[in-house]
Amino acid sequence: MTIADIQKPAAPAAPGRWRASPGARLVWLHMRSRRVPAAVFALAVCGGVLRAALQWGWLFRTGHFAQEFPMIVEGGAAAVLVITTHSPFGEPERTGSRWLPYLRLGTALVMTGVAIGILQLAVTGASLDGGVLVMARNVIGVTGIGLLSSLVTGGLLAWILPMAYIAFAEYALLQLWTNPWTWPVRPPADRGAWVCASVVFAAGLAAFMIRGARTRLAEDS
Amino acid sequence: MTAVALSRRGPARVLRIEIRRSVVLWAVPLLLALFYFDTFRTAAGFPAVWTVRSSVITDHMIADFCPFAAGLAAWVASREGRRKTSDLLATTVRPAWARQASALGATLFWLLIAFLAGVAALYIDTAVQATWGGPPLWPVAVGVVEVVTFAVIGFTAGALFPGRFTAPLAAIGCFLLAVIGLHAAGGVKPGTSTYGLLSPTTNVSLGDVGVFYRVAPDVAIAQVMFMGGVTVALLGLLTLAPAFRVSYHGLLAGVSRAGRWLCVAGVALLAAGVAASVTAFSLVGTAHMGVSGWEIPALHDAASDRPVPYTPDCAGTSFTVCVHPAFSAYLASANAELQPAFAEIAGLPGAPVRAEQVASGDGVLGSQGLNFAGVPKPGVSGTPLVYYFISDDGLSPLWDIPAVVGPGFQQNFLTAFIAGPPRVGPGPDAAALSPTAAQQAVITALMTAVGSPAPQWGEDMGNGGPTAGATPAQITAAAQRFGSLSSAARHAWLAANLPALRAGTLGLGQLP
Repeated sequence: MTIADIQKPAAPAAPGRWRASPGARLVWLHMRSRRVPAAVFALAVCGGVLRAALQWGWLFRTGHFAQEFPMIVEGGAAAVLVITTHSPFGEPERTGSRWLPYLRLGTALVMTGVAIGILQLAVTGASLDGGVLVMARNVIGVTGIGLLSSLVTGGLLAWILPMAYIAFAEYALLQLWTNPWTWPVRPPADRGAWVCASVVFAAGLAAFMIRGARTRLAEDS
Repeated sequence: MTAVALSRRGPARVLRIEIRRSVVLWAVPLLLALFYFDTFRTAAGFPAVWTVRSSVITDHMIADFCPFAAGLAAWVASREGRRKTSDLLATTVRPAWARQASALGATLFWLLIAFLAGVAALYIDTAVQATWGGPPLWPVAVGVVEVVTFAVIGFTAGALFPGRFTAPLAAIGCFLLAVIGLHAAGGVKPGTSTYGLLSPTTNVSLGDVGVFYRVAPDVAIAQVMFMGGVTVALLGLLTLAPAFRVSYHGLLAGVSRAGRWLCVAGVALLAAGVAASVTAFSLVGTAHMGVSGWEIPALHDAASDRPVPYTPDCAGTSFTVCVHPAFSAYLASANAELQPAFAEIAGLPGAPVRAEQVASGDGVLGSQGLNFAGVPKPGVSGTPLVYYFISDDGLSPLWDIPAVVGPGFQQNFLTAFIAGPPRVGPGPDAAALSPTAAQQAVITALMTAVGSPAPQWGEDMGNGGPTAGATPAQITAAAQRFGSLSSAARHAWLAANLPALRAGTLGLGQLP
C-alpha cells in the first residue's frame, strides 16, 4: 500500500440510494455516529430482562414493592439511551452543522419513544404493576436527569446520575415517601409526579438541544 | 538513576497516576449521599445493637455500591478498547495484565476507601449509642469482598466487551442481581432450599441477633469463599483473555502471545476460583437453623452455640422488669409501660412476679414446640411465674415504627397473661390467631383503664365470619361495659373467671 492509497478520497455515496433524500441520510448518519442501533439492541436486552423477571417471578407482582424491579430496568433503559448523546466529533461538528440542535432533539425524542415502546412490547400480556403510564413516566423523568447530567459529565458518563437517582428511589420506595419528585414510587395517576418528571425531561431536552453533551471530561477519563 | 530502579518504580508510578485520574472520584460524592440517605438513616432507625446496625452493610450499603462498582470498573476496563489503542499499547514494554492491574487497583482503591469510610461512620455512630457489645467484623469482610467482586465483574465485562454501553449495562445487571439476591435471601426458611444465603444482599436480622448467642460466622465464611472464588475465577479469565483472541494462526499463537507462564497462572486462577465457589455453594446447601443463626456443619464451631453470659439490667421493686444490657436504653420505657398494667392484674391467679427479656423465638413456632432447646418460650411460664418477652414484642423500635413500641409492649404483656399461649390456626402456615372476642374485650378494657390507647386487633376471618367470634363493634361495646366497672369490681370478676376466660370458653355476653 502506498501513501497515495491511504490519501485516496473516500468513495462517493452509493448512487441512487441516498440521493433522493439527503435529509434522511443526514439523520441516519447522525444516529449511526451516536451508536443508536447498538443502543436499540441494549434497550432490547433491558426489555428481555424485564420480561424474564415477570415470567420467572423474580419480583413482587403486586403491592407496594412491585415497582422495585421494574424501576431499575426502566431507569437502566434511560441510562442506556442517554449514552447516545455522546458525539465522537466534538467541536468541529458544533461549528459545522446548523441542523445539529434539531438532530439532537429528534434523536433524544425518538430514543425515548423507542425505549418506552420496547419495554412496553416486552411486558405485553404480563400485567406489569402500574402499567405503561408508570413506565413512561419513569423513562422520561430519568432520561431528563441523564440529559442534564450529560451537559456536565459528557454523554459517556451520563448514566451515573440516573443510576444514583434510581438507587435513591429504591430507598424512597422502602420508606414510603410521597414527594412528587420521587416519581418512580408514586401511583400512575399522580399529577405531581407527572409534572416533576415532565419538567425534568423538558429541561433536560431543552438544555441538551441547545448545548449538547460535554465532550471533554468523558474523553479524558 | 539506573534503568533497573526506574523499572521497579514503574508499577507504583502507574498506579499513582491511575489513582489520581480515576473516574471513581466523580462518583464518590454520589456514593456518600446515597450512603447517608439509605444506609445511615435506615440504621439510625434501628436499636443501637451492634449486630442489627451492622446488618445494613449487606442489606442497603451493598445495593448502593454494587451498580457503581461494576459500572465504573467496566468503564475503566473498556478504555483501551473504546479508544482503539490496544494495538498501540501492545507494543509497550508493560504487559496487558500489568496495565489492567493498575487500572483495577485504582478503581478498587477509591471504592474501598468510600466503602470503609461509610462503615466507619456507621460504627462510630453505633459506638456512641450502644450499651453493650462491640463492632462485628464479618459483615465488613463480606462487604469488602462483595465490592471487590462487583468491581471485578464489571471490569471483566469492560475488558472483554469494550463499548460505550458496557458500563451502564454492567451497572444495571449488578443492581438487578442485588435485588434478585435480596428476594432469594428473604425466602430462605428452615426446611426450604438454603442456596439463597449466598446472596450478596441479605435482609436485616432480628432485633436481638448476636446478643444472647454469638452469630455463627458460617454463612459469612461461605459468602466470602463464594464471592472470592468468583473474583479469582474472573481474574483468571482476564489473564487468559489474550489467548482467547485466537487469530488464524490458531490457539498456540494465542498462547504464545499471552505468554506460557501467564496462561498457566490464568488457568490456575480460573480453576481455583471455580473450585472455591463450587465448594461454598455445596456447603451452603447443608445449612440449617440453629440458636446462633444459620449453621453449616462443616464450618460450624459448637462453641458459638453457648449462651453469651450477661447480667440483666432491672428496674422496679414488687414487679421487676429486666432487659438485656444491650437494650438498657429501653429499660425505663419498658418499666413505665409494664408497671401500671401489672397493677391491674396483681394478685390474680397466674400473675407473673417479674418480666424478663429472652432470645427471639417466633411465637408461633414456640407454641408448636419448635423453639430451640434451652431457650425459654415467650409468654408467662416458670416457677415463680415470669413474663418472658423478646425484643420484637414492642420493646424497641425496628423498621421505623416507634408508635407500636410503648402500647404494643403493654398489649403483648396483657395478651400473654389473659389469653395464654397464642392459638395456632390450621394449615401449613400455622398463623397465630387473635385472642377470642371476650379476651380482646378484657385486654382492651384494661389498657384503657391504665390510660393507653385501645389496641388494634386484626379482623381475622374464617369460614365467612370473624375468628374471634364477634365483630369489632361488639368487642368495643363489651370492652366499654367492662371498663366502666370499678377497679375492685374488675379485679374481683377476673379473680373468679380468669381460668375460663383464658381457656376461651367465655363469650362476650358473659362479661359483666
